[in-house]
Amino acid sequence: MERDLDQLYTALNAIKVLRSNVGSVFETVSNGLRADHGEEGKENKFMLELQDVLTTVNNNLRDVETAAANLTPPPGPFNLGNTAYLSQETTQERQALYGQLVNSYKWTDKIREYSTLAGNILATNSFNKTYKTFSTTKRRKTQTSNHNVPPEVIENLITGIDRLFPDVTINATRPFVPNPVIQASLGRVLKAIIAFKGLMIEWVIVKAHSESSDLWTESRYKVFRKVTENCHAAMCHFYSPTMPDLAVRSFMHWFHSYNTLFSCSCKRCGNHLHSNLPPTWRDLRTLEPYHEECK
Amino acid sequence: MGVTVVQNFPITENRTGPSTIELLTKRISALGAIQQGHFLVDCETYTSVPQLGNPRTVHILHNSEQPATVFSILETENKTIPLATDGLFDLLMIKMANFYTSKKQTKAESKGPRYEIGDFLVKLGTVTVSQNFKGVLVEVEYRPCVVPAMCWELMREFLQGFLGSTAQSAPPLYLQNRMQDIYSPIDTIHQYLEQFTIYRKAPGLRT
Repeated sequence: MERDLDQLYTALNAIKVLRSNVGSVFETVSNGLRADHGEEGKENKFMLELQDVLTTVNNNLRDVETAAANLTPPPGPFNLGNTAYLSQETTQERQALYGQLVNSYKWTDKIREYSTLAGNILATNSFNKTYKTFSTTKRRKTQTSNHNVPPEVIENLITGIDRLFPDVTINATRPFVPNPVIQASLGRVLKAIIAFKGLMIEWVIVKAHSESSDLWTESRYKVFRKVTENCHAAMCHFYSPTMPDLAVRSFMHWFHSYNTLFSCSCKRCGNHLHSNLPPTWRDLRTLEPYHEECK
Repeated sequence: MGVTVVQNFPITENRTGPSTIELLTKRISALGAIQQGHFLVDCETYTSVPQLGNPRTVHILHNSEQPATVFSILETENKTIPLATDGLFDLLMIKMANFYTSKKQTKAESKGPRYEIGDFLVKLGTVTVSQNFKGVLVEVEYRPCVVPAMCWELMREFLQGFLGSTAQSAPPLYLQNRMQDIYSPIDTIHQYLEQFTIYRKAPGLRT
């Protein structure tokens, strides 16, 4: 296929050269005698020039013939499918459709090729946002939805967490029935107001015990504002759509490590203070305290 | 209201009170503190007249951080009773002038600039006892924390960062027995009273 195309291109090129040289023959003939042929023997000079040009044309014609002989004729008529009917089109402006058709065919062909490549590359590092598989061969158990769960499930989860950590006391209010807002007091250190959306943690805000427990105003203290920020990061980190209850549990486990907010020094630099803040970051896995700048 | 530590900053021989305050101001400003007004803590002491039997002492203190409150500490032989009341208590004391007389020479006060740095509150107080300059008191408050035991190490680090080697390595005497309790404004008052008592007893400048 590739070789055929090459030969076709050489043949076409040879024809192009032949045509241009034939053009120059006619140009020479039509110009006739020119001033640069001089006075003496001008006819002879003209004849010689014409002969030269004709020889070139002759050579080119031989090239074309050899190139054409190398070509393999197509086995049969091309099957154009439905596009053959385009030839029966009579209106002038629609006769150009064939070119566009070929272009779009090439384009879709390329898309197919690229998407297969992309598919292969993406399959090697699979990262699925949704854990739903669309295969029909395996029947899976129905996925638990984390947006729409019965209130009892959330209630159980919260009481479970309440029992898990003795120094975390939890008060739950339910401004909207399935979505509780809990106030988790961590010892005498701080309190967090956590809003749920189903089984997902939707919003966290950390404050001092003396501050109001509304969900919208930030803490007055820089340290709790920083902790709030870090809680948001952790909330996103622990988020897991398949096991929402585990996500909440691991978040609470991580959050529980803040009971040493003021008393622990940074694991990296060994100091308590860095830019007048205690270590406000807790490592997500080891729960070790770090300063924002040291982590 | 967070945990507060009040400590004396010794005045070296070649310095005066104002120059010491200036030195501390420079240090705290270099750390990034911003001045937020002034503060004043004063203390007046009344003693009961002999007709009342056993001698009792009442210390009346005001703190500009709690401007609507009058703190009083009643000392009897074996008990100390703290009391936080509203401003009218001052007038009540005037009414009781026949039973409790004030010693005018003992009016002590600490006043000066007040700085905020991060969540810390730093106050540099010039202490006078009956108008005589006695020394410099530094008050540092860490506002987010309410239990002294939790944040003492952190506060000590802060104090050392700004007072240098003169920072105390142990918590104030008054706090040592109350490290696990929740801190309240009366605890600051107790610390000030503790310091004022030392200043009153000192004959000249306290170093």
